[in-house]
Amino acid sequence: MVVVLGHGGAGKSTLCASMNGIVPHFFRGQYRGRVTVKGLEVARHKVPEISRIVGLVLQDFEPQLFSTNVELEMAFGPENLCLPRQEIESRIRHYLPFLGLENFRRREPASLSGGQKQRLAISSVLTMEPEVLVMDEPTTDLDPEGREEVQTIARRLREQGRTLLVVDCEPETGENADQVWLMREGQLVARGVPREILTDIPRLKSCGIKVPKLVELFSEMRWPGRPLTAREAIALIEERGLAKTRKFKLPDPSIARTGGASILKVEDLGYLYPAHRIEALREINLNIQEGEFVALIGQNGSGKTTLAKHFNALLKPTSGRVLLRGKPTTEYTHREISRLVGYVFQNPDHQIFCNTVYEEVAFGLKMLGEPPSSIEKQVSSALETVGLTGYEKKVPFALGKGERQRVAVASVLAIQPEVLVLDEPTTGLDDRHQRSLMEMLKNLHREGHTIIIITHSMETAAEYAGRAIVMKGGSILLDGPTRDVFAREDRLKEASLYPSSLVQVSNWLGTRGLTVRQLAEELRA
Amino acid sequence: MNIFLYLERDTWVQRLDPRTKMIGLLILFALCLYFNHPLYMAGVSGGILAIAISARALPNLGRLRVILILLFVSSALMWPFFARGPTLLWSWGPFIVSRESLLYGIAMGLRLDSFVITGLILLSTTRNEELTNGLIRMGIPYPVAFAFSTSLRLIPTLAGAGATIIQAQISRGLDLESGNIFRRMGKFIPQAVPLFLYAIRYTNQLAIALESRGFSPGSKRTLYYEPRMRKLDYAVIVLLGAALAAGLYIRWGLGLGVILPGRL
Repeated sequence: MVVVLGHGGAGKSTLCASMNGIVPHFFRGQYRGRVTVKGLEVARHKVPEISRIVGLVLQDFEPQLFSTNVELEMAFGPENLCLPRQEIESRIRHYLPFLGLENFRRREPASLSGGQKQRLAISSVLTMEPEVLVMDEPTTDLDPEGREEVQTIARRLREQGRTLLVVDCEPETGENADQVWLMREGQLVARGVPREILTDIPRLKSCGIKVPKLVELFSEMRWPGRPLTAREAIALIEERGLAKTRKFKLPDPSIARTGGASILKVEDLGYLYPAHRIEALREINLNIQEGEFVALIGQNGSGKTTLAKHFNALLKPTSGRVLLRGKPTTEYTHREISRLVGYVFQNPDHQIFCNTVYEEVAFGLKMLGEPPSSIEKQVSSALETVGLTGYEKKVPFALGKGERQRVAVASVLAIQPEVLVLDEPTTGLDDRHQRSLMEMLKNLHREGHTIIIITHSMETAAEYAGRAIVMKGGSILLDGPTRDVFAREDRLKEASLYPSSLVQVSNWLGTRGLTVRQLAEELRA
Repeated sequence: MNIFLYLERDTWVQRLDPRTKMIGLLILFALCLYFNHPLYMAGVSGGILAIAISARALPNLGRLRVILILLFVSSALMWPFFARGPTLLWSWGPFIVSRESLLYGIAMGLRLDSFVITGLILLSTTRNEELTNGLIRMGIPYPVAFAFSTSLRLIPTLAGAGATIIQAQISRGLDLESGNIFRRMGKFIPQAVPLFLYAIRYTNQLAIALESRGFSPGSKRTLYYEPRMRKLDYAVIVLLGAALAAGLYIRWGLGLGVILPGRL
């Protein structure tokens, strides 16, 4: 099992695509050298031929699921191999429980959750029984439990003697690998065992990869050892007596928090999706105050996005109500509400349509009938905030993912809404882009904006949000200061969440720190 | 968002071979074209409705009720002005309505609805793949059959993406609630451009996924849902064939079922 890590645009996906001949057959270009798989030169054979040996799971799983039920999806590959029906049947029966899909055999793929879809995408390649399995960022859209599931699958496949090549942005994926490769700007810069590669801080940084937080902490504290997991770290601390544990006190929940004026108030909110008649939200009560930085966390499908879409009346409550500045959201027009609450969707490509970045960012203001002079001013200030000054005349479609994400944020920001809601703002971005986007949000927060992010990254929530709201099955499970929420690991487990390994260590130590810097300062004091 | 029409049920219609269902569809379409007298047409429509009920496809009819009602009403209201019959009922300037043309309009409304319901029965009881496999077994080349079923598959995907795109644009100020028709046309662009680009990206990825799973157009492959003609299939075809022949006899042998001669 090889894990390939690298920054966005390092060439990881291209490497994956060259394993089964998609490069150079589908994506043409200058192609030099050769790729051989089991003595076959890939470029000399057609993709369908190579697919018997190399299975490729693509990053975006939606277009990979095109059948009308799970069983047919898994049968598609073997059908193309002209296997007899009985053989296909027995393979489906074998691989359904292997990936925990046995109860979904007749289900429509679109009705599955994110993690289930990802497992289906993998198993529909597995039924072809390829000897080499290549997976391009298989966990980007998944919650911690989904990530764990994919890791387990990888381990089991390795036990079966298959070769795995997994591409990822998160260093955690590399912990269980036989080898980790680092890529930078189209080149392989390092190869080695995980312990060696993942603890080399300068090299990881030069490749734009997040340094494992515990490695960073131990290096910051000048402690011996470079642990990768919470368990290793705790063992090291205990063994060498590096730090004393203290008693972490949870604040008394009966003391009500006081703060600024309430901006969003949710009262007994319930929501029923009309098409499925599924109860997506149940008895939600919430009060968000002006100037808060809130993280909505929870498993895929726990209702985070459904709740957030009520904040700007994209969805209307089935029961209960949502008050924005004391007035129900249903009494606002879309125009009025877009001035108060800005909502940035997960995928920037769902909204970009103009020829230039300037027009794109000015769109909302034009729709709202602002005078040209103020449009110009607000656009340039929004572009400055997201760090895209000088991009006005560029074509937005031609920008990288991180930049397109910023254009989308700027186009909402230009309207200068008081509340900014962002759905999964860091998904699919590499470490550098994640960091700069989150720093930008931090600045906006400092300027007085209320920020609400939906995220499945426990690290992002821990580092930036002051308040965390944990959702499970359409209700709120936990709500409070982020530090206190993350201290309750047992309750988090109920929502199939667990804090990052750094926070786990912090919990064990009884410290308040949630970031490497906070923790280091606290331990030194 | 769920706009798939297929209903996972276990009725005799679901169990039919897709080829039987497609032949059946053609026969029912032909039967709809025989009569233009509303009573006879109602007989055909009633038969089709009975099939829909026994296939338990009524929820889908319910979902499309607005379209069905609209088709019927507009047809019943419009036709009387265009078709002319001997028994005058009402006239005002160039507008003349006769008893026969009114009945003809009702029959046409029934006919349109019957077409839609017949199609709905097929889509409610047949999986995409079954249709493809049926077409292949009827001798249609695989790439053509596959293109057909993929385009059916793309409709719900694009509809879902379209809904998200509209929400994303509303969130940043696109106002779909006001403006005259020309202003509203202009608001179409912010929705259409991202959808168009999404479709291109999606189909590109789809092509890669298909090739990576060993699909190559034109080469032989196993059909996991192998269509198989059973006794029931032959019985259904014989029965529908008999209905077709009986209709033929009533219409041209006995000359019944026509309210306005010379019109379809």
